[in-house]
Amino acid sequence: MKFSLVEFSIARPKWVLFGAALLTLLFLTQFPKIRTDTNPKHMLPETSDVRVWNDKVDKTFALYEDTIVIGIENAAGVLNLETLGRIARITEAVLALDGVASRDVNGFTTITNVTAAEGTLNVGPLMPAAPKTEAEVEALRQALFGNSLFIDRIISKDGKTTAIYVPLEKGANGAEIADKIRQIVAKEKGPERYYVAGDPVARDTFGAEMFKLMALFSPIAGMIMFAAIQLMFRNLALSAAMMAVSMVAIIWSIGLLIGAGFPVHIMSSMAPVFLMAIATDSIHIFNEFYFRYREGGDKLAAIRQTMATVSRPVRFTALATAAGFAVLLFMNIVPVQVFGGLIAFGTVVLRLLSFSFIPAVLTFVKEDKLRKAAGGEDVTADPVARTLGRIARLGATKPMATLVVMLILAAVSVWGTSKIHINNNLVAWFKPSSEIRIADSAMNQALGGTSLGYLVVSGTEDDFIKRPEAMRWLEGLQRHLETLPVVGKTFSVADYVKRINRVLHDDDPKFDVVPDTQDSVGQYLFLFSMSAKPADLNNVVDPAFRQANLWVQMKTWDADAMRQVIAAKDSYQKAHPLPVKAEPAGIAWFNLVWNDEVLGDLVLGFSLALVVVLVILALDFRSLKWALIAYVPLLLTILMIYGVVGFVGKDFDMPLSVMSTLSLGMAVDFAIHFVSRFRQRRAEVGAGETAPESLAWTAARPGKGIVRNALLFAAAFSVMMAAPLTPYVAVGAFIVSMMLISALLTLLLLPALIMLGRRWLLDQGEAK
Amino acid sequence: MKSRFGCLLLAACLPLPAMALTGEEVMKQSQAAFLYPGKDFKARVTMKLIGKDGGERVRELVMLRKNFGAPGGEQKYFMVFFKPADVKDMSFMTNKYPAKDDDRWMFIPAVNMVKRIAAQDKRSSFVGSDFTYEDVSGRDIDDDTHVIEREEKLGGRDCYVVKSTPKTADADFGHKLTWVDKANFLPLKEDQFDRKNAAYKAFSADEVNTIKGHPTIIRRTMKNQQTGHRTEAAYANTDYDLGIEDSLFSERFLRQPPRKWIE
Repeated sequence: MKFSLVEFSIARPKWVLFGAALLTLLFLTQFPKIRTDTNPKHMLPETSDVRVWNDKVDKTFALYEDTIVIGIENAAGVLNLETLGRIARITEAVLALDGVASRDVNGFTTITNVTAAEGTLNVGPLMPAAPKTEAEVEALRQALFGNSLFIDRIISKDGKTTAIYVPLEKGANGAEIADKIRQIVAKEKGPERYYVAGDPVARDTFGAEMFKLMALFSPIAGMIMFAAIQLMFRNLALSAAMMAVSMVAIIWSIGLLIGAGFPVHIMSSMAPVFLMAIATDSIHIFNEFYFRYREGGDKLAAIRQTMATVSRPVRFTALATAAGFAVLLFMNIVPVQVFGGLIAFGTVVLRLLSFSFIPAVLTFVKEDKLRKAAGGEDVTADPVARTLGRIARLGATKPMATLVVMLILAAVSVWGTSKIHINNNLVAWFKPSSEIRIADSAMNQALGGTSLGYLVVSGTEDDFIKRPEAMRWLEGLQRHLETLPVVGKTFSVADYVKRINRVLHDDDPKFDVVPDTQDSVGQYLFLFSMSAKPADLNNVVDPAFRQANLWVQMKTWDADAMRQVIAAKDSYQKAHPLPVKAEPAGIAWFNLVWNDEVLGDLVLGFSLALVVVLVILALDFRSLKWALIAYVPLLLTILMIYGVVGFVGKDFDMPLSVMSTLSLGMAVDFAIHFVSRFRQRRAEVGAGETAPESLAWTAARPGKGIVRNALLFAAAFSVMMAAPLTPYVAVGAFIVSMMLISALLTLLLLPALIMLGRRWLLDQGEAK
Repeated sequence: MKSRFGCLLLAACLPLPAMALTGEEVMKQSQAAFLYPGKDFKARVTMKLIGKDGGERVRELVMLRKNFGAPGGEQKYFMVFFKPADVKDMSFMTNKYPAKDDDRWMFIPAVNMVKRIAAQDKRSSFVGSDFTYEDVSGRDIDDDTHVIEREEKLGGRDCYVVKSTPKTADADFGHKLTWVDKANFLPLKEDQFDRKNAAYKAFSADEVNTIKGHPTIIRRTMKNQQTGHRTEAAYANTDYDLGIEDSLFSERFLRQPPRKWIE
């Protein structure tokens, strides 16, 4: 069927090109519907336990999914008339923004304060209006630093930084609101510095960068590849054909993605570069075509011979690549599944085009130009081919030495691999010089931390939380958690109870404790609820007082921080038994779950890919022995890259874990080409050539295709190393090094292994 | 003679310009009918605070009110709580003055203490319900501008629909629409909008009874449209003109409310 497709394409090249163009236009019509999705929560399906649980917690405690934090810093301290005036103006303007949950904005002018003076209890906004006298500023200072609820939350210990917490209504556009906030603060002229931070800001900035990457880096990668191909084959029609094939595959795949209603996520935004790189597998067609044409001189015959020779390896490498990506469909992380399906589809399209579009284009190439360009393609004359042949001969003649060197490299890599640290940190996806990272680290340094987790403490019956022992347990847990360096601030309903107890007793610090009876607790909270904003209490206890919500602010977005919090909670619970459940929740908990999913997925995906690739190799070679031999350079390549990741100390995160799975499907291509063509050669020349000579020929001729393929691949991905987001940089570096190492190992290690196992491989393998 | 009579008849049929009420007058009459009827008033109030997911909490209290002037003038409220159990015997007193902050006191039995509570925020929730203090005891008419938007029937009753807009930004809402019953001037429905013009809270009078000649809303609901949380309040044992003494409104009785008033 494949063969007839080639014949059809040679016979009716115009039809093929026209049909491809028409279909491409059809897929292109889907593009205007494009949507992006950068919400990390969507990494896991809506029905996943952690999302269902987090939604429930949000509802129970009237919590907001998204909060923007505005940091205001003045090196001379924020507690002065001018800065406070600005804070009041900014808050007022922010309250009027659409999408802002105004009633629950917390800053100096809105946060609830509980004080007592001259027998009167005062529950209300801390600073209802900007102070007009120095005495009022001084009173504010007393109020701030006299209330532990405020320190590290809305005022830093040194008094130089304050924060306004701006919760967003469901479905509000975080990027738009953040922009408006930036405009509001830009109107204020003064010595203050402003930071706009928080999950929604990071997310939406990431989304914008993603688009930039798709719109800017994909064409650049394309142009680099185009230039590289042109340099290699010196024929504009061929270079254009190669680019056209990858463009068509990209448009079909992305068109299908959008048309099927999927949003573009971080992973799928990398798809164009991937498809372009995978398209370079067609290099083997051109490579062989040039050699064949030079040998025969008849264009159509050369096309037929080329397709017949490379069809099997190209088909199997495509199968391996598609399978490598299809494995992702079995993973738990939604965008990864989508990405796997997307690229698997794109790879199939690419292969289809390899057997139709490319032969069709080849018929149009003018013979005289072809003759000139193909002139240099000769195994013996071409310096590149000669060098490649020498590399293979080195491996073939010194197999033991090659093997020993490789074993040493493998051992070092294993050591490096053991140092790998699995972690996902959304903020670290931005470069340290980015506005987001600067804002985040400034806020983390000054205040309690921008990463928020919860511990939901559930009693066995209603009103359980009002019991003094439950209150004291909460308080003890808070003090215990605060001993962790990653925890900056905690607060719970116990803080309100203690505060009211103290205030009712003339602000006597002796009464800054949980009272002795449940009635006292109940009455304090009732008193509080009569004057405070409803959210003040709702955020920390459920209406039935069966559950309490303990807020834990962490100074890092590392998933590991929440793991430490949970471990500390467990040890506290063991030391202080109370019949309560304390369950983690919030975005920090989500990040931890997701992090562990990544690890689980990695193990699962990697094992699946290993099996799938081995099966495909065995099918291709019709021999398990050859499959195992071809497997070795692949494994060593991956091991070496992991080793470097471990030594460098780079966090092993979601994009990298996906890459490692994919890399199997892509890196195996070279071994497939090499082994297939080597065995073809042996079958053709038989005893007329020694095994090392055949190996050298394989390295020189199809090997040149391998090197060309690797260089093109590396060129395309090297663009990503200039991206403003670290996952793209990491993926770029990963692929570039994988391609280069795997090409080298294929040409050097594979000959050594084949020579070492030649009795075992060649005698029986050839006998078949 | 005949034509003269005809003229008179015609004149009687025409609405007299002097009879047409302004928005402000409607709201004044509504305030009198809703919050000031009788010399004094008593009810046992049960509030159900109902979450979006159906979770329910109960507040139960006796509310006593005495007028110290004409409608719109000074009033005193006295409340004693029964539920939830841990707040039993807490009591609460408010002196309401026109155009001036309220005075509030609370008795906290667990620490045997009466505390004055500064009432700077009228937006505060009443006992954790969806009603604010203003929703329960009213808002100064002069704080808002009132315009009759239209007249329409609501549940078979002719109503004025009055739009009230706060003169300053201190209110909980941006504006509100009130459906005032033309016959008895009770507010049958009220839609509050926030300052971004989104639906915020909705009040409805669910049952009206006439007690000692005063039409009285004995079941009402306030629903927060934005959170889905709502509070249903039922007024039982409602009564007027009981002869509540001025001396009731004191710290002494706050600590030990007279039994005859709180049963």
